[in-house]
Amino acid sequence: MKTRLPPMSSAQRTIWLIGIAGVLFFILAPLYLLVKYSISDSASINTGGAPVPFWPYHPTLINYWYLFTDSQFYKVICSSLFIALGTVVVSMMLGIPAAYVLGRYEVPGRKTLMLGLISVRLFPDISSVVPVTEFFIRFDAQNTYWGIVLAHTLLALPYVIFIGIGSFESIPRDLEQQARVMGASRFQIFRRILLPLSVPGLVAIAIYTFLLSWDEFVFAYFLLGLGKISTLTLYLKQKMTYAPPQNLLATISVCLSLPVILFAMLMQKYMTAGITQGSVK
Amino acid sequence: MADVALSHIYKSYDGNPVIADLSLTVKSGEFVTLLGPSGCGKSTMLRMIAGLESIDKGDLYIAGRRYNDIPAQKRRLAMVFQSYALFPHMSVRENILFGLKINKVAPALMEEKFTWAIALFGLTGLERRLPKEISGGQRQRVALARALVLDPDVLLLDEPLSNLDAALRESAMEELKRVHRSVGKTIIYVTHNQVEAMSMSGRIAVLAGGNLEQFAAPQAVYDDPQTLFTAGFIGSPPMNFLTGLLQTRGTETGIATEVGFIILDKERQVRCVASLGKKVIVGIRPQNISYTDHFSARRVSDTSITLKAELFETLGDRNLVVARGAGDTVLRFLMKQDDDILPDRQVGVFIDGRKIHVFDPDTRKSIFK
Ligand SMILES: Nc1ncnc2c1ncn2[C@@H]1O[C@H](COP(=O)(O)OP(=O)(O)OP(=O)(O)O)[C@@H](O)[C@H]1O
Ligand SMILES: [Mg+2]
Repeated sequence: MKTRLPPMSSAQRTIWLIGIAGVLFFILAPLYLLVKYSISDSASINTGGAPVPFWPYHPTLINYWYLFTDSQFYKVICSSLFIALGTVVVSMMLGIPAAYVLGRYEVPGRKTLMLGLISVRLFPDISSVVPVTEFFIRFDAQNTYWGIVLAHTLLALPYVIFIGIGSFESIPRDLEQQARVMGASRFQIFRRILLPLSVPGLVAIAIYTFLLSWDEFVFAYFLLGLGKISTLTLYLKQKMTYAPPQNLLATISVCLSLPVILFAMLMQKYMTAGITQGSVK
Repeated sequence: MADVALSHIYKSYDGNPVIADLSLTVKSGEFVTLLGPSGCGKSTMLRMIAGLESIDKGDLYIAGRRYNDIPAQKRRLAMVFQSYALFPHMSVRENILFGLKINKVAPALMEEKFTWAIALFGLTGLERRLPKEISGGQRQRVALARALVLDPDVLLLDEPLSNLDAALRESAMEELKRVHRSVGKTIIYVTHNQVEAMSMSGRIAVLAGGNLEQFAAPQAVYDDPQTLFTAGFIGSPPMNFLTGLLQTRGTETGIATEVGFIILDKERQVRCVASLGKKVIVGIRPQNISYTDHFSARRVSDTSITLKAELFETLGDRNLVVARGAGDTVLRFLMKQDDDILPDRQVGVFIDGRKIHVFDPDTRKSIFK
């Protein structure tokens, strides 16, 4: 239920507005700088000592032009997209059923299992990447799509399972039992009751997983290196190595962020609150 | 059609016994109510019959077949949960059809049943609404419709009316009775509301602490409570209890209590000869103590005693009088609105000897044979 906030005095209102403006500033200012750089020409960055202007000086789309005419750019976008979506699919296919079982049934050794799941993420990526890579190389998984998808799945899985458990647990147990008495099999209950009701949670998981894979760098760098398959983050790194103008890097960064925002916006309509309202009294 | 037989059922949770050695047979097509205080194991019984809870010991038979090890989804019963458990993402229509779809019923038949159910429960016009868009009473009817379209042999209802206001509850009770009459299902109904139990069931099973106290028709449970618990639990306002000695004085048998010698009617006198001379607990309903200024209205089997009225509670049509008799015994009785009983005055009342209940304080059971 949405309830109206109590009316505020003008002093309170002012404080609120200042607070909100402050937060917005911290979020938007870097974004603005990023976009600004991406449409600036070199002269507005390398000003030779003069202060960098606040507004883009001679706005230009030349960097975008450069990117969009680079065939490699399309290739990395496609592989990044493919890897991210692959990670979403694989980690959800593995993680959601696991979350269902862990969230709904008494599994012996549940606590240990959960600790084991999260343990991968208890180490910084940079230290877990070495053993993981070594392990993957043993299975010839370096420089392959399935290898990097599996690696990203490894990173995403604990979150998928933990958020999944939470969203399954919020569904009243009576619904499941009611369906069972009506003759539904476990799979039917999962498919027709639990899954649709956990959509908001699953969408959050999907967005999170997509993002995780899309901007993942460390594992991609170790597993793909400078092989045939490259991701957007590796592309950015590669361009940085050649010390290109900052405005090109900013442009790549904008391209790195856009799909994430788009993906989140697409998914947002499924993230409705109060989906189980009205089911049990 | 199916009868449900529970035989020597035991159930405990983590070593705490909830149901101990309970046997109960519900006949085919019967409307039986499980009535008992909160936490006495009513829901647990229902959930065991539905297969949602395992049975520790004992047997469950439905239509003569042992059901202990048949999983819930194969039992073909229908249950209405205490919480209604409507599927929140499905419309009223989808909710009602869910079970039929799961059971792969032919679309034509499905449509026919749906039409029947929404007409029966007055849900026409609400087909496309989601559960959150209908009222509590409507939700309850959807839950009932959803259970009935499955055409189950046995219908299990767990306090389906507990959330309704008095008027809605009344109409829902009528609706349920009508449905039972028209479809003739075996219905096991759980409640802790005795008005519901009294007015709807063919037989009432009174449960307390996981024991079956009495299993009989509503009138029999009210008129002839077999245990002290049933006597105190059924009836409103609750029964008065006094201790006394069962003895014969002259030609009459009765109970010597602090308020006086309460005589039993002839029929009861015969039924209690085996317990003569014993200490007993007497139960008298407030309805069976009457005040009248016409002394001639007294029957031979009535006992006349004197009480001092202390408090009055209005019940609407009548008042409940809390009065004190000899030896500080408190007795409650009912008076009509126009009776002129005054506070702190002595008042003569009659106890109806035909309606007296006598219990053994040790076994807590009725001594009447
Ligand atoms: N899953 C469980 N684990 C442990 N104890 C339980 C469980 N379910 C019920 N109990 C206990 O079993 C007893 C009977 O519970 P049950 O739900 O059958 O009561 P009830 O008669 O339906 O009560 P109410 O009228 O309040 O619904 C209670 O004491 C309860 O605490
Ligand atoms: Mg209950």
